[in-house]
Amino acid sequence: MKTKKNKLTVRNLKLWYGESEALHGIDLDIVSGKVTSLIGPSGCGKSTFLRCFNRMNDRIPNCRVEGEVLLEGHDIYAPDVDVVQLRSHVGMVFQKPNPFPKSIYENIAYAPRIHGMVDDGDDMDELVETALKRASIWDEVKDKLQQPGTALSGGQQQRLCIARTIAVQPDVILMDEPCSALDPIATAKIEELMDELKEDYTIVIVTHNMQQAARASDYTAYFYLGDLIEYGETQKVFTTPRDQRTEDYITGRFG
Amino acid sequence: MAELMLKSALQSDARKRRRNRADRRFKWYGFTALVLAMAFLVFFFIDIIGKGLPAFQQAEMLVQVSYSEAVKDNYNLALDKISRKLVSRSWLRTIPMMLEDHPELVGTTSEEWVVTDYHIDQFLKGHEGHGLIEKDQKLVEKLCEEGKIKLAFNSGFFTHGDSKMPENAGILASAIGSVLVLLLTMLVAVPIGVMTAIYLEEFAPDNRFTQLIEVNINNLAAIPSILYGLLGLAIFINFMGVPRSSALAGGLTLALMTLPIIIIATRAALRAVPETIREAAYGLGASNLQTVWDHVLPLAKPGILTGAIIGLAQAMGETAPLLIVGMMAYIPEAPHSILEATTVLPAQVYTWSGESIRAFEERTAAGIMVLLAVLLSMNALAVRLRNRSETNW
Ligand SMILES: Nc1ncnc2c1ncn2[C@@H]1O[C@H](COP(=O)(O)OP(=O)(O)OP(=O)(O)O)[C@@H](O)[C@H]1O
Ligand SMILES: [Mg+2]
Repeated sequence: MKTKKNKLTVRNLKLWYGESEALHGIDLDIVSGKVTSLIGPSGCGKSTFLRCFNRMNDRIPNCRVEGEVLLEGHDIYAPDVDVVQLRSHVGMVFQKPNPFPKSIYENIAYAPRIHGMVDDGDDMDELVETALKRASIWDEVKDKLQQPGTALSGGQQQRLCIARTIAVQPDVILMDEPCSALDPIATAKIEELMDELKEDYTIVIVTHNMQQAARASDYTAYFYLGDLIEYGETQKVFTTPRDQRTEDYITGRFG
Repeated sequence: MAELMLKSALQSDARKRRRNRADRRFKWYGFTALVLAMAFLVFFFIDIIGKGLPAFQQAEMLVQVSYSEAVKDNYNLALDKISRKLVSRSWLRTIPMMLEDHPELVGTTSEEWVVTDYHIDQFLKGHEGHGLIEKDQKLVEKLCEEGKIKLAFNSGFFTHGDSKMPENAGILASAIGSVLVLLLTMLVAVPIGVMTAIYLEEFAPDNRFTQLIEVNINNLAAIPSILYGLLGLAIFINFMGVPRSSALAGGLTLALMTLPIIIIATRAALRAVPETIREAAYGLGASNLQTVWDHVLPLAKPGILTGAIIGLAQAMGETAPLLIVGMMAYIPEAPHSILEATTVLPAQVYTWSGESIRAFEERTAAGIMVLLAVLLSMNALAVRLRNRSETNW
């Protein structure tokens, strides 16, 4: 058995939106090469927490963070950290599929180009193909790479967005309710995809779908009102939750 | 019981009747307003077109021109006694100059169609107050029957500058002036306005100071345009020493006026770009500038262009601020540089409208028609741009 390695370490993380504290000191370790799901009732701070990992909260005025978030031991909130670099290591897939209104090819090629990973040409073609294949959407789009990404179906768009994220070759992929706008078949495809991707990437996913958390994730964290209530291996959390509130939420007895 | 309630709810009670009446009344108010607005518009167009159309024709006369050495000193000698009275003085005066340029013509004669005096033109168009004396009326009628005087397309209206003689006055100088002024306005106002808007919308922190600026920009868009003329006079002419009446002075002044319009339109266009696109770009590690430049601006471009065109169209039709910077003068020549005295189309229209000679009236209306045609095509272009590039994301 491989030894457990922590990709992300969170220590006493507090976050304020202006005067109101949205996260009240979170401690949590995200295990490398696994899928970790964040669950909890609406407004409990899952998205907020997730967005701390790639510092997307920086864009919100009056948002203040305290505590430590370490990516492989490096504090990502240290003053000398380059957010652009950080985000190339920690990619993000959003709730609503948001491809750029450009060609499918451009959607994938954009980030590798701005990060100077490869030059346009054969190398880029190859990179685009690899990314689309990894996101298992290649077969559906290989004949229409120059068509706009926005013309795809919702599920295809979401896989395109995943491919776009993969193209940068990040270490961590954050997903905020990636399936909430998708039908069960498209959802199943994405779950399958997550299972494949976790060999190479550490995945953190926010979901409202208990089955999805149970099916697709190795670790589960339950949040409630800005506190981390319970965290552990998914199986344990779902079968023998330690906290009453977790059990209520999982079994649907929660209001 | 429930059935009863449903039944009474479906039947028209007093309240419903009142509601319907209010509905109908409101619809009727709206309809009346629309009809009134249309009526004004139609009246305006009929009036302008009715007055202006004749200006696109001009009376011409077939004359025998004999070029001789003596003509160089006395242009009257080029024509016989009768024709001499009937043709336009403004044409006669150009003969010596033409002979200077083409000495080979000396000693030749030719038959030419020449623009007539404006009295004849007005008489032929049946305008009252044409001012042609009784004796000449007979003569002109006779010449008409012989086919030696006719109404022809008035090309001079588009190829001449202003003139004190109405038959010779055209819009060329002012049209060139308008193009120059508008180009300057565009070159100054569009880049500065768009950059300001991008900075305010995408880069500036949201604090008291930027809020103050925002409020002020909105106010600036609403102040009377003549104040921009005073501002332009103070800054550009008195302080910076830009020549009065020049295209540069006018262009800069109009740029001041157009700036807030462009800033507001650009900000609205930027705001209409969905936040999800920005998130996508930032999430991939794009910098601020890359996000704006590669993703936000392309989506906002149609909106920005539309705003710019509408702002420029407004500048094009503007007269008040130009009055103050001295562009309402009698300027017959097209400018050769942006520092020379220049007039613009609306100013030309304004100048003509103040002329005492009746023949200028139709030129005023024709000038308005040209101006309107340009403005309407600019607005049509703006609408087209907006419709064509409605992206779905
Ligand atoms: N931009 C913001 N400004 C101020 N408060 C915010 C902002 N975003 C979120 N909040 C607040 O922070 C708290 C946590 O929000 P968050 O979006 O993280 O919840 P969530 O768990 O993702 O909920 P959901 O499941 O509905 O997406 C909420 O109380 C919310 O009102
Ligand atoms: Mg959320």
